[in-house]
Amino acid sequence: MRSPTFSGSLLLVLLFPGALALKTADWKTCSQSGFCRRGRALSARAQESASSWKSPYSVDPASVAVGSTQASFTAAVKSALYPAVKFELDVRVHEDGVVRVRMDEVDGLRKRYDEAASWSLIEEPRISQNIQWTVSKAGIKAVYGAKKDIEVVVEFNPLKVTLFRGGIEQVILNGRGLLHMEHFRKKEDKPVEATEGDAQAVLQVNSAAWFEGEEQDAWWDETFSSWTDTKPKGPESLSLDITFPNHGHVYGIPQHATSLALPSTTGPGATFTDPYRLYNADVFEYLASSSMSLYGSIPLMHAHSADSTVAIFDVVASETWIDVSHSSDKSTETHWISESGILDVFILPGPTPEEVFAQYARLTGTAPLPAEWALAYHQCRWNYVSTDDVRTVQKRFDEEDIPVDVFWLDIEYAEDHKYFIWDKKTFPDPVEMTQDVEAIGRKMVVIIDPHLKRTSSYPVYQKASELGVLVKPKSGEGEYEGWCWPGSSSWIDFFHPGSWDFWISLFKTKSIDGQWSWTESTNSVGIWNDMNEPSVFNGPEITMPKDNVHYGGWEHRDVHNINGMLFVRTEHDYFGTSPHECIQTNHTFQAASLRTDPPRRPFVLTRSFYAGSQRFGAMWTGDNLGTWEHMEVGVKMVLANGLGGMPFAGSDVGGFFGNPEPEMLVRWYVVGAFSPFFRAHAHIDTKRREPFLLDEPYKSIIRDILRLRYSMLPVWYTAFRETAATGVPILRPQYMMFPKDKDGFTIDDQFYVGSSGLLVKPVTQKGVNDVSIYLAEDQVYYNYFTHQAYRGSSKGTRVTLSAQLHEVPLLVRGGSIISTRERHRRSSPLMKHDPFTLRVALDKAGSAHGDLYLDDGDTFSHLEGQLVHREFAAKTEKKVIRITSKDIANVDPKNAYAQSIAHVRVEKVVLVGLGAKPTSVQADGGKELEWDYTPGVASDKQGQAGVLVVKDPSVSVVSDWALVIKL
Amino acid sequence: MVPWLLLAIPFPVLAALDKTHGVPPALASKYVPQGSGSRSTWKCLDGSKEIAWSAVNDDYCDCLDGSDEPGTSACPNSLFYCRNEGHIGATILSSRVNDGLCEPECCDGSDELPGVCQNTCAEVGEVYRRKQNAERKLRKTGSKIRSTYIAFAHKEQKRLEARIIELAQEVATREKEVERLRDIAERAESLSAADLERKKESPLYQSLLTHHTALKSLQKEHKKHLEREKALGDILDSLRTGYNPNYQDMAVLEAVRGWESLARLPHINDVQKDDNEAEEAQAHETEEEELEEGMWSASQIENELARLLKADHVSLLLEHDRLVGPSGAQSVLFDVTSYLPDALLPHYESLRDMIMSGLQVLGVGHGVVDNSAESNRARQALSDAEHSLKLARDEQKEAKENLDDLFDPEGFGPEGEWKKLDGLCLEKDTGDYTYEVCLFDEAYQKPNKGGSNFSLGKFTSWNKRSGAKPGELEFYTKQSYTNGAKCWNGPHRSVELVLTCGIENALLTVAELEKCEYQITGTTPALCLPVEEQKGKDEL
Repeated sequence: MRSPTFSGSLLLVLLFPGALALKTADWKTCSQSGFCRRGRALSARAQESASSWKSPYSVDPASVAVGSTQASFTAAVKSALYPAVKFELDVRVHEDGVVRVRMDEVDGLRKRYDEAASWSLIEEPRISQNIQWTVSKAGIKAVYGAKKDIEVVVEFNPLKVTLFRGGIEQVILNGRGLLHMEHFRKKEDKPVEATEGDAQAVLQVNSAAWFEGEEQDAWWDETFSSWTDTKPKGPESLSLDITFPNHGHVYGIPQHATSLALPSTTGPGATFTDPYRLYNADVFEYLASSSMSLYGSIPLMHAHSADSTVAIFDVVASETWIDVSHSSDKSTETHWISESGILDVFILPGPTPEEVFAQYARLTGTAPLPAEWALAYHQCRWNYVSTDDVRTVQKRFDEEDIPVDVFWLDIEYAEDHKYFIWDKKTFPDPVEMTQDVEAIGRKMVVIIDPHLKRTSSYPVYQKASELGVLVKPKSGEGEYEGWCWPGSSSWIDFFHPGSWDFWISLFKTKSIDGQWSWTESTNSVGIWNDMNEPSVFNGPEITMPKDNVHYGGWEHRDVHNINGMLFVRTEHDYFGTSPHECIQTNHTFQAASLRTDPPRRPFVLTRSFYAGSQRFGAMWTGDNLGTWEHMEVGVKMVLANGLGGMPFAGSDVGGFFGNPEPEMLVRWYVVGAFSPFFRAHAHIDTKRREPFLLDEPYKSIIRDILRLRYSMLPVWYTAFRETAATGVPILRPQYMMFPKDKDGFTIDDQFYVGSSGLLVKPVTQKGVNDVSIYLAEDQVYYNYFTHQAYRGSSKGTRVTLSAQLHEVPLLVRGGSIISTRERHRRSSPLMKHDPFTLRVALDKAGSAHGDLYLDDGDTFSHLEGQLVHREFAAKTEKKVIRITSKDIANVDPKNAYAQSIAHVRVEKVVLVGLGAKPTSVQADGGKELEWDYTPGVASDKQGQAGVLVVKDPSVSVVSDWALVIKL
Repeated sequence: MVPWLLLAIPFPVLAALDKTHGVPPALASKYVPQGSGSRSTWKCLDGSKEIAWSAVNDDYCDCLDGSDEPGTSACPNSLFYCRNEGHIGATILSSRVNDGLCEPECCDGSDELPGVCQNTCAEVGEVYRRKQNAERKLRKTGSKIRSTYIAFAHKEQKRLEARIIELAQEVATREKEVERLRDIAERAESLSAADLERKKESPLYQSLLTHHTALKSLQKEHKKHLEREKALGDILDSLRTGYNPNYQDMAVLEAVRGWESLARLPHINDVQKDDNEAEEAQAHETEEEELEEGMWSASQIENELARLLKADHVSLLLEHDRLVGPSGAQSVLFDVTSYLPDALLPHYESLRDMIMSGLQVLGVGHGVVDNSAESNRARQALSDAEHSLKLARDEQKEAKENLDDLFDPEGFGPEGEWKKLDGLCLEKDTGDYTYEVCLFDEAYQKPNKGGSNFSLGKFTSWNKRSGAKPGELEFYTKQSYTNGAKCWNGPHRSVELVLTCGIENALLTVAELEKCEYQITGTTPALCLPVEEQKGKDEL
């Protein structure tokens, strides 16, 4: 038994991450995508022709039909290229001033896909009754707005739509003449070949060539790598230029790994060579800086200047490429090229960021308030390999007193990757395991992917096959078969209404009428939807062939970007839907009440998403790499997702691929702790890296970071309430907070958390000991931990904060009151009865305020008035500071929920920025309280701030009270 | 949560908590007020601060060391003591106090507000005692088995000690024998050396030597290439079975397809796999490459080449000489040796040498020719004797090492209790694979549906990572097997074998916690210490 010496295998493991790389050749560039190539060529021809270029599309003035009572009109549009082809234009102004512009080919050979909006919008928007269109010879216009300063003008020849505010152009459609709706044609329509030397004939026959080009480039089929797209409908792409003549910065159109302020893709000095692409894709080891498409698509773009913010929402579901350029610092030109579908564009007039979010929220809805536990820490790995493994991980967390709320199971729990079906060899007692986790107030989230293993022994596949609700191949017959985790697989067609009830029935924890259902789960299990782009291993660009056929005969190309949202929607609907959300599908209500009574808020995480997905759960930024670059861009991607209306977002802490060094892991935990969705995840090839496995000091630092997140859950929950109500993102970039400060427009590495006044700048570089934070206002900011006071300026000031590994660069804006719960607990539901600490950060004038929202965090009773919403305020007047609590909920303050937490105290008040020792601190009734003062500067000075700690003011968090501090 | 809602909790709720609530008995004497009445005070245990006595256990953290809140959750990182009367007292973290959950450690329910948790100490204590008894019984049985292991080790020790003495004698004998034979061989060689040297100049012999060297080099090269091919084949096999089609890496796909066509394997991940094709491919495999007539087959090269290379060229040279040279070279004198018993051989040989030299002097007899053969045989006899000596010495060395390991805390344990298990192979069938651990040797993964076995690593050491010291029980609860077959795109396979006391040597569970890193749990009586030895620890 002589021992062989320990080999270098450990070293090998450490070196391994170096092998990671993206296979760019698997995904198309614009030049490899026929319609994008055509779109860019069109733009190039327009640029060459310069002023002589004129859009061939025009409105027939005689056809204009204005709605009798509503602010809408329709009109016939013709293209000079094909006078026989008919288009119809439909323009409406909504009650809130949003302009919707639609155009479709009418009486054509086929019908363009026109259902994207019906999936994305929460309801048919209400058209204004008060706005009148004025028709003239050259065009038609409407003036509206509270100050009558908004004007929308549709010019007839060529067709051009302009939105003005105060006489200044905000948005122009087809201003550059790139509008082109390729009409359906027959294949023999090909122009007659001109005989050589007969120049005249060429001009006559191919009269559209100046616009469409000489070639029928990829009209009828297209081959990429080994896949051929048969394109049975021929060319049907849509090109549209959208110009913001007075907005120098654009944001949004997630999901791309790039800066928040979108860099140019064309023109001089362009950062990227390809347009931003929206085509949901499972991109393996994606680049940390690229315009490539990723897992989700939200075709919403904000345009911002110091004067106003506007946005464009282009509700198209097919593959879309967007070129961005700046002809000057003050303007932005964009070009949107989509493969199919009607033109359906919403112009959101703003003029503030908040109003743009409200306008967008009225269209696609907001993210509903999630279950409170979903904001806590999620621990994931591909894979916890057995029920005992899960139990051991839970035990280790508890032994180390590290808080965690959710344990996740990736695909290996499922026998042969047949989702729902436990692998009994390793998960013999799944329900007991789940109950063991739930016993500590925790939850489990289990993955359910949309691909079904094609085997008769899999009841889910079997039933779906019997029902005929699987996606069909290009023939339109039978079942499409592709390759994914389980091997040969088929995909449920969630566009098929027959799939909904079936899918919902699967989640029942009690079998009904002998139908197969997931009886081996509990009512609290959350669901993780991965691979829903959909990811198809042997498909073109790792997804479905575009000529696959969905319900209603639509091709996959028409609906691709919506696909992932529908999968999630159905699951979300099952788990419990609020009465406000089930406008589209009334089967959901019944299904929800079958799982629990009363219904509970569901949790679904999705990788793929579309405009509207925010209504159905959280997303994460997919399979990132354990590199500093990915950590950094993850912050920007989460910010961008918020701007896209989908704020419940996060990136995998630690990076999915690779083995992050402890320093990187610690920093990544800070990024996670300040993301709305906070989950650590790791690839199957990586070393385990659960916090309890780390050496000191890293383990304790991460424990502290997690405890910080838990202490701030009330702040996050209150921020989620606000976004649910207003659509304003949870993480707020600099430009949103200070829309007039030009120096802040490109800052995307620091952000504010909701309306709390917390400003954080996570470290995303190696070896950093301090950070520079930009302050855009003449206000005091305090270090959250040390109470050091910094002063900003209205011209913009940078301050330096120490940011050693154990330090979180976190500031509190003067004038904020932060509510926290400082007791350490194992999971967030165990904090329910813990007392609050209020951090009152006085502004330079000596005031502060903040709100706190509470409800049961679990059911929908908050929609029936079971909640607490308080406003805390501090005011300094004549050497007396009064701190008060008042009710701002518009519900009965004696509601049952409020009563159930009446015993919950405010245990401590920390007043920051008090320049002198008080003479007395009293509760409302005059009772002198215990307190402790640490001398320091007042809120109008820089330096170490004076801090007063008031011990146990003996007040309930749900009642009105006041503290009086006399100086 | 339910108990919270059921209770109509007055506010503030913890005003009248006992000051010693949550204080362990050892510290109870420190929780007394200084002074009396409403002005009485108390000093934080670290002495950092003096607070009002009323501030002790008032659900607000005053002391930096958290000592003022032994009975609440107000101070972070402090401890709470529950008395658990009728059972054993326990300490829990303050984060567990008043969190709405009844901690199993605190069967008296004192970790929550009155009324939330029931006092279950009677039952819990009973269950605990039963469990303790069961465990004690198990350990008793186990420790009996363990004592047989220790007895085995002692027997083994005696056997080894005896064997070492025996071997020492044998070595001495053989050393003498080697001395004697070396003497003979040297003398014989001195006679024949000059003659042999002359013969060795024969071009045929020289050419033979060159051929031998060339063949040997070729064999070495060939072997190297075979190993390389095998290694490449293994890599490609694991690539083929293990690659992730998700990534659609064309280079990987081509490598897999190329290997499949070269090795005539069916394509593993074809969506529309044609079974006929696979069968055809199988059929191809049986066709053997045809050999030119007289040429060696691969198996001949493997088996016979080595033998060919072992041929004694000097003997051959002499043989050759006899065949083509003067006949009658064979002398009775030299053949006689084969018939003589070993004991007589030396006498005979000295006699023969005498005769031979006499004959030579007289010019009779072809002593020169036969001298070479004689010297050769003498050399052979020496070499055989040296080999026997080496074997005896090796065995002696091994026996000494085994004796050293026997009671080495880093080897078979301070009492030698593990020796009995040396090389014992335990198996666990997990469905797809059977895992086998041969203790102190090697671990394997064996597919149940056919395919090649993988080594999961060779025994490297006892518990290295946890800081346990050799000699402590904890040290023997883990074994590492490392440097097994390399995973494609990953580390070398390895096993952490986690053992507990049990009456059988058995594997219980197998888990691949990280890719290619296995955790196998099992039981063994070798870990069952006699009950008395652990008593002290249990009671605490």
